[in-house]
Formats: sequence, C-alpha cells, structure tokens
Amino acid sequence: MTAEHVDAGPQVDPFEAFRGMRDKYLESMSKVMIDAVNTEEYAQATGAMLNNYLTLSAPFREALDKAMLMALEQFSLPSRQQVIALAERFTNLEMRLDDIDAKLDCVLESRSASQPSAAGVSPGGAGHSSSEARPLHQGNSRKGQRPK
Amino acid sequence: MTPATASSNNWSVLERKLGTFNRLMTTKAAIGQTPKDLIWTLNKAKLYRYVPVVPAEARHPVPLLLVFALMNRPTIMDLRRGHSFVEYMVGRGYDVYLLDWGVPGPEDKDLKFDDYVLDYMPRAIRKMKSVSGSSEFSMLGWCIGAILTTIYAAMRPNDGLRNLLLLTAPLDFSNPEKLTFARWTDEKCFDVDKVLATFGNMPGEMIDYGAKALKPVENYVTNFCKLWDNLDDPRAIEAWHAMNTWVTDIFPMAGGAYRQLIVDFYRNNRLMKGELKIRGELVHLNRLRANLFNVIAEADHITPPCQSEAILSKVGSTDTEIYRVRGGHIGIMAGSSAHKQTWPHIDRWLGARSDLSGPQPYM
Repeated sequence: MTAEHVDAGPQVDPFEAFRGMRDKYLESMSKVMIDAVNTEEYAQATGAMLNNYLTLSAPFREALDKAMLMALEQFSLPSRQQVIALAERFTNLEMRLDDIDAKLDCVLESRSASQPSAAGVSPGGAGHSSSEARPLHQGNSRKGQRPK
Repeated sequence: MTPATASSNNWSVLERKLGTFNRLMTTKAAIGQTPKDLIWTLNKAKLYRYVPVVPAEARHPVPLLLVFALMNRPTIMDLRRGHSFVEYMVGRGYDVYLLDWGVPGPEDKDLKFDDYVLDYMPRAIRKMKSVSGSSEFSMLGWCIGAILTTIYAAMRPNDGLRNLLLLTAPLDFSNPEKLTFARWTDEKCFDVDKVLATFGNMPGEMIDYGAKALKPVENYVTNFCKLWDNLDDPRAIEAWHAMNTWVTDIFPMAGGAYRQLIVDFYRNNRLMKGELKIRGELVHLNRLRANLFNVIAEADHITPPCQSEAILSKVGSTDTEIYRVRGGHIGIMAGSSAHKQTWPHIDRWLGARSDLSGPQPYM
C-alpha cells in the first residue's frame, strides 16, 4: 500500500472525541444556567446590582452633567436639552407636513373623482377610507412635541 | 507525509481558521440588500417599498406591510440574498412595504406605544395606500411589532386591514411564572423608573444582555464553538456572519414605550384584560376583525407559546389560523429551514386572502 492510498482513506480526527465531550458538557451547563437565571434569587441579585450601580453612579453623572453644561455655555454651544427641544420641534414640523400631504392627497382624490372623464389612476391612489379625510394629527400630540 | 510537513499543515489550517474567525468577528456582513425605495419618513421612522419583481398584473393587489420590534433592526426580515423573507415574498408577487422605526435619540425618550400606533402607523399606512393604490392592506407584526399591529388593528378596525399576521406575538402575560423576563422585571427586583430616569431610553446593551442571559451558555459559549467547528463551511459562516451582524447591531428602545412594555404588559397584562388605554381609549380586542394568522414558535424562549395562544379567543375575527412551527424566536423566520417551513405557510395563507375578490372582514 502506497502513502497516497493511506492519505485518501477516511481521516481520523483526533479532536472528535474532545468535541463530543465539550458538547455534552456545554449542554449540561446550559440546562444548569437556564435554571439558574430563571430563579427569584437571580432576579433579585441582578436587580440589586443594577440598583446599586444607578445609586452610586448618580452623583458622578450629575457632576459631569453640570460641568458639561457650564463648558458648553462657556463655548456658546447649545446644551443637550436645547438640541433635544430643537429635534422635537423638527418632528412636530414633520407631522404638520405629513398632515398637509394627507390633505393634498384628499384634494387630488376628490378632484379626480369629480372629473370622471380623466383617464388613468388618481395621483392619490384609489379608494381611500373615510378616515383619511380628516387630519391625522388631532391635538393629542406626543409629550414634548407641541410647538414651543 | 513527514511529521514536519503534517505539523506545518496543521499550523497553516489553524492560522487560516483564526483569520476567518477574526474576519467574522470584526466585519459586518451585507444584510438588508433587497432593492427598495424610501417613500415616507417621520422623525426616525422610515417606510420602504421593495421594488417589485413580478409584473403588476401578476401581483397580489393587496399590499403587505411589515412591522418589526422597536429594539432591533428590521433587516432580519431581509437577512441575506438567497435567504431573505422579503426577497421571497416579493418574488411571490406581493407588494411589500417595511416600516423601520429607526434608532430613538434622547429626544424620543417619551415616545410611547400610543405615539407609534396613533401617530406613526396611520401616517405610514396612509402613504402605503396612496402609493399602492389599494384601500386594503395586510400587516405582519413580529415580536413587539405584533403588539403594535394588534393594538392598531383593534383601534382602527375600519381602516382597510384585511389580513393580520402575528409572529411570536407577546400578548398574554397571565402566566408570569413561565416568563423569565416577567420574573426579572417584577417590581420587587427592577425599578424601571429609576433606570429610565438615568438613561432616558432603555439602553440597547441592557436589552441585549437580557435577551442573551435567557440562554447564557448558548449565546456566550456554544455559539462560538459551533462557529469554530464550521469554519471550513462557507455556507455556514456566511449565515453566521449575517446573523451576527444583525444581532450585534443594538440600539436603545424609547423610554416611554419600554415603561409601558414593563408596567402595562409584563406586570399587569392590561391588553388581554381589556384594560389597556391608548391615548385614553380602551383597546378592545374583540373589535379586531381582520383575518388572523398566528405563528407560534414552539421553542421560543423569549416569547413562549403561552403568550401568543390566547389572542384567538379574544378577537372578533372569524377567519383565524394558528401555525405552530418548531424553532426559536428568530429562527422560525431567519433560520436555515425557514424557507421550507414558515415562509411557504405564510405565502399559502396570505396568498389566498390577498385578492380583491375575497371577503372583506372589516366591512
């Protein structure tokens, strides 16, 4: 038998047994861990850790926020709150534009309906439900997004 | 082969595997590649229309809107070429739209389910109707997207929703002892207001940890061992790379919506009890009349089957069907057998109800 024939035969993987053991170990560990995280004790322990972290880090975060606010003021840059307020106003404007878009669709639809001779599909599409005729924004705007 | 040559080969194999492993861990796969057009935006939300590949006359006239969860990218529905639910549905002749909620910023910390359901969804749906030219539509909600679509369907029963498909829908929280998340977020253990007062939005890292900690050994150890074992299989590593790219793309969930999820759903089960109020209006599930297809993943550790089963007894729909599939929360739609199991079942059910001649459940 030549060396070539030996190479062409089924190769023995020395790690196969190791992999089998590893998989069995991981499978059993997995069951143990799933049971462990599904206990009241785990829930309470993680909750306590999170709570402690939030409590202990609060003074540092507040100090950092104050320092950042002062630094931004010194550089005449807008604060985080000001940027947030601006973003909220943009969203509010977007909603108003979307309302106008909806009304325009309704106008175009009613125009095309009143001109039955005009062939083709209406620009606003066909058969909108009656709910679309009213503005979508009905005064219940999301918090913090009313015009400032 | 001399021992020296064999040893050299072993080292080169190891080096190659390490190189591949390193590439997979440090690069992003191309996901969400099916061609699409952006047709509407509001704040961070975007509505896409996938470019149809089937001629208009052969397409289903009722468009399909996909709504995914708030805390992960919806690209899971369009994971990779040749293995994408979106690509499959577009190829089957559906006019497919995707509502991408986007990444909430600090200015969105007060966004609630109320805003998503009553501000964002009606506007996106109006635009979809306008573009598609159809007054009727189908909607598919997955995970928290299923909560949003269910609430919408119950609150706007006359809006033209013909078919509602729910995937792994966490709607019923009446069995907290079976829900690990419910145990972790119980008010005795978890101060949701303190967390949100600190961070504003719920940090993506905490959500990611929560999801992975349900099965810590699988997610932190076994996953990588299996990858190592399959590094010589190009198909396996391509699938792993795409999934890892999606899993590691984490972002926060709007604080207001997260508080509602914990307080109204996990702690008080208000939707199923008929006590959930959206902008002051009670959500009555019996007002939901759309044809309903409920997909339940039997091995789902995030949304166990018991959370999705009770909805059918609460809704007013007459055409309902449950489809149980072996698999996990994500695997049923993005796993290697999804294209043989879940997708064809969805197509079969939806296809029979997506022609204009069919019954209109909302009339």
